[in-house]
Amino acid sequence: MVALARKTLVYEWRRFLPAMLAVGFAGLLQLLQIALVLGIFGSTSLYITGSSADVWVGYPGTQSVSLGRTIDADVESRLLMDPAVQQVEPYLWVDGDWRGPRETGGVSVFVSGIDTAADGLMFSKVLSPALRKRLAEPDAIVIDRSAMDQLGVGIGQTATINGQQVRVVGIGSGLRALGGVNVLCSLDTARRLDSDPTDTGPTYLVAKLHDPAQADAVAMRLRGDTAFGPYTAWSAGDFARLSVRYWLFDTGAGAGVLFLAGIVFLVGAVITSQTLIAAVNGSVREYATLNALGVGVGALRKVVLEQAFWVGALGLLGASVLGVVLMLLARSQDVPVVLNVPVALACIVLVLGLAAVSGLAAMRSLRRVDPATLLR
Amino acid sequence: MHPAPATAPLPAPALQAENVSKAFVSGHQRTQVLDHFSLSIDAGELTLISGPSGCGKSTLLAILSGLQKVDAGRVWALGSELGQLDLRALERFRLQHTGFVFQGFNLFPALSAFEQVELPLNHMGLSREEARRRAQQSLEEVGLAHRMRLRPSELSGGEKQRVAIARALAKQPELLFADEPTSALDAANGQIIIDILHRIAHTHGTTVLCVSHDPRLVVHADRVLAMEDGRILSDRRNHTAVIDSKENPA
Repeated sequence: MVALARKTLVYEWRRFLPAMLAVGFAGLLQLLQIALVLGIFGSTSLYITGSSADVWVGYPGTQSVSLGRTIDADVESRLLMDPAVQQVEPYLWVDGDWRGPRETGGVSVFVSGIDTAADGLMFSKVLSPALRKRLAEPDAIVIDRSAMDQLGVGIGQTATINGQQVRVVGIGSGLRALGGVNVLCSLDTARRLDSDPTDTGPTYLVAKLHDPAQADAVAMRLRGDTAFGPYTAWSAGDFARLSVRYWLFDTGAGAGVLFLAGIVFLVGAVITSQTLIAAVNGSVREYATLNALGVGVGALRKVVLEQAFWVGALGLLGASVLGVVLMLLARSQDVPVVLNVPVALACIVLVLGLAAVSGLAAMRSLRRVDPATLLR
Repeated sequence: MHPAPATAPLPAPALQAENVSKAFVSGHQRTQVLDHFSLSIDAGELTLISGPSGCGKSTLLAILSGLQKVDAGRVWALGSELGQLDLRALERFRLQHTGFVFQGFNLFPALSAFEQVELPLNHMGLSREEARRRAQQSLEEVGLAHRMRLRPSELSGGEKQRVAIARALAKQPELLFADEPTSALDAANGQIIIDILHRIAHTHGTTVLCVSHDPRLVVHADRVLAMEDGRILSDRRNHTAVIDSKENPA
C-alpha cells in the first residue's frame, strides 16, 4: 500500500508544520498549566500527604484540612475497637495570629498540634525525628525555612501566637502552606494556643492501619457509626483530593484551568483544521483524479484522518520532549510542579481530540472533490 | 452484459448514449449543452471528439464515463446502464473498468512515478506483488522505466503526462478517457502521447475516447467526431490510422 498520507506529510512538512506546532503548544500549555496548579495547590494537602496515617476522622462536611472543626475525643476508643486499626493519634488544628520580635504586622498561621512520640504519624514524612523530639519541650514550635522572613524569627527566638508565648526550636523544610504559614508544635502547646474555649476535642483523629490497602473500606465502615457524636471518616487519599479540589474550585483556579483548556483547545483546533483544510484544498485535483479512477471517497477521508493523526502524534511528541525539559527546569528552580498519570493522560486526550476534531473538519472539505470538475 | 437494444449495431458498442439531454444552470441562466443526443462508440478503437471549446465535448466525456448524471436519456458503458448505478456502484464501476487522463497531470507531489501508478492499484484488491508488477510494466510501456523513482518535480511535462497515462493503463481498463491530453505539451511530447494512446487502443483492445481540439490527433484516430453546439457535425472513419499502427509497431 502506498502510504500517501505519511509521504505527503514528510514531503510537504512545511505545509503541516503550523498544525504540528499548534497541536504541540496546545498540549504543552495545558500540561504546564495543570502541573503548576497541581504543584501549588498540592501544598494544601501536605498535612495528609506528609503524614503516614491511612484514615482520617473529622467533623462531617469538612471541605478541606484547614477547615476542620473539633470532634469528640472519645471517638478515639471507637477507632481502636476496629480490628483493622493499628494506631490512632489526635491532630489539633488551631488558626493563630502571629506576632514576632520584628515588625511583621499580623501574620496568619496554621498551628498543627501533633503527637511528638517517635512513632507519631503526623508529618512523619517531612519532619526529622530530632525536630519532632524537640517539639516535646513546652511552647516549642518548628517552622519552615521559607517562612523565616515572613515571621521575622530565627532559631531560639520567641514570639507570640494568639497572645501566648512560643519559642522556635527548629527549622524544617517542605512545610510550606498556601494562604498562611504552618507552625508545628506538640498537642499540649497547641491546646494552650487555642483561644476558643468551646474547642475541647481534637480537630482530627488519624489512624494507621495494619493493611493500608484497606483504607477505603475502613473509612466506609467507620462512617456509619454516630455513637460518639458527629464525625466522619475518609481514607487519606480521598481527604487529600477533597482538600486540593476545594482549593482548586474555591479560589477559581480550577475554573481558570478549565477555561484556559477550552481556549487552548479552540485556538489549537482552529489553526490545525485550517492547516489541514488548506492541505486538502492543495491536493483537491489529485484526490479528484483518484476518485475518477474509482478510489472511493471513504478511502480519501481515511487519508485526511491519518494525516490529522500524524499531526497530533508528532505535536504530542514535541510537547512531551519540551514538557519534560521544562518540568525539570522548574523543579531545579523550586517551582512547584506536579504531574501525575491522569493529568498526563488528560493532556494526551486533549491533544489527540484536537487533532481528531481538526481532521473531521478537514474531511468536510473533501466534499469539493468532484472529478467532473477536472473536465473543464 | 446488459441486453443491447434492437437498434444497436453489432458487435455491441462499448459506450452508448441514447437521447441524452444535459443542461447547466448558473443563476437564472440555463444552458442546454446536450439535447436529445445519441452516440455509439465501438470497442477497441481510438475515437476522437473534436470541436471548439464550449461545444459540449467535455460534458459528453463526463457523461459517458459516469462522472456526471444526465437530465434525460440513457447511457450504457460496457452494457451497464450508468443511470441505474448509485454513487458507490459508479465508483466501483470506474475502479474496475475505466482509466482517465486529464489535461492537468494531477500527480501527488510527494509520490514517485512508480507510487503514483501503484496507488490506485492498491484499491483494486490486487496483491502487493501484482500491483507492483503492473506498475512496472505500464511505466515501461510508456517509456519511463528509467525515471520511475523520480517525483513529479523532477519530471518534464511530457513525462508527467506519461506517468498519468501509465496510472490509467496499469488498471488494465476496458475504457480509457482522455481529456485534452496533449494541450499542455509541446509538439514532440504531444506526439509521444498520441502514439501511446493509439497503441493502447490497438494492442490492448482498449476503447479510447479522447476529447481534444488538437489537430495533430486527427490523423491518428480511428474515428473522428466533429462536434459543435451539442451536435455531431461530422463522423468520419480514418483508415490511415490503422495502417500507421502497422508501420510503427510498439
